[in-house]
Amino acid sequence: MSDFLASVERRAFKQAVFAVHEEQSALDIVQDAMLRLAEKYPDRPAAELPLLFQRILQNAIRDHFRRSKVRSTWTTLLGNLGLGGEDDEGDPLDVMEVEESSNIPASPADRLEQSQVMAAIEEAVKALPERQREAFMLRYWEELDVSETAKVMGCSEGSVKTHCSRATHALAKVLRAKGITL
Amino acid sequence: MNENEFGSKMKPWLDRSAAAVGEMQATRLRAARLRAMDAYREPVRLLGLVTVNAGTAQTLHYSVFQRAMLFLPIAALIAVLALKSVDDGSDPGDIDAQLLTQELPPDAFLDQDFRSWLGKPQG
Repeated sequence: MSDFLASVERRAFKQAVFAVHEEQSALDIVQDAMLRLAEKYPDRPAAELPLLFQRILQNAIRDHFRRSKVRSTWTTLLGNLGLGGEDDEGDPLDVMEVEESSNIPASPADRLEQSQVMAAIEEAVKALPERQREAFMLRYWEELDVSETAKVMGCSEGSVKTHCSRATHALAKVLRAKGITL
Repeated sequence: MNENEFGSKMKPWLDRSAAAVGEMQATRLRAARLRAMDAYREPVRLLGLVTVNAGTAQTLHYSVFQRAMLFLPIAALIAVLALKSVDDGSDPGDIDAQLLTQELPPDAFLDQDFRSWLGKPQG
């Protein structure tokens, strides 16, 4: 259990930060999620822990939103970043370039550039609508399959696919607008 | 680039973002984990059938038979104690009779010197 928690705590923290945009609350959420997992599911096989923990974590994030009533924060950011609405610029994923480099910064200038890219990605992820961000994080960061993601999110597999598709297109559009290639 | 490709390209960046968590946050996360582990009790499996956690039977994932097995040791203990109490049941009347039929009068046992003599190790 301890090894599992150690392996996920930072990712869980970043997920919570992306969701609530505030580190103190994110720490509280992660602590709450870890405590719930340890208290309520001590006898679960290790293979079940990732899915269980994600479900608990996402519920804790939702509880936070219910309590603090700040659901509209991301929609404001969405408007500022121009993520909402459809346009006729084509599919941003079609023009995203893929760099085959190892992503290891060689010089201070490269490191600076990478930190700027990372900050831009974080901002773009934070600006995603809640369900899109949740689906994207679970599918592509936690590497859950569509069925598992649907279970964690409590929705249909079709909804997961829709949320993921919208999230990837929105992120690609923002990054392309900033001239960022992954 | 399709969606899956894009997602897989984002993952290393997100991993890097998680790895770059500040020292203070990392320390607090570690403290939170230790707090969670304080609440965690390693499950105890008895004969592979039951799980006991902090003195509470966790029978959520076991069949009715397995749940019944949890109480088997307790039932066995009660049965053994009951049997033993039946076996040890000596009749006080028998003791009185043995005492009265001895050559030694009962009053002798009230004599302090005789009792101390009985307590001495013999030859």
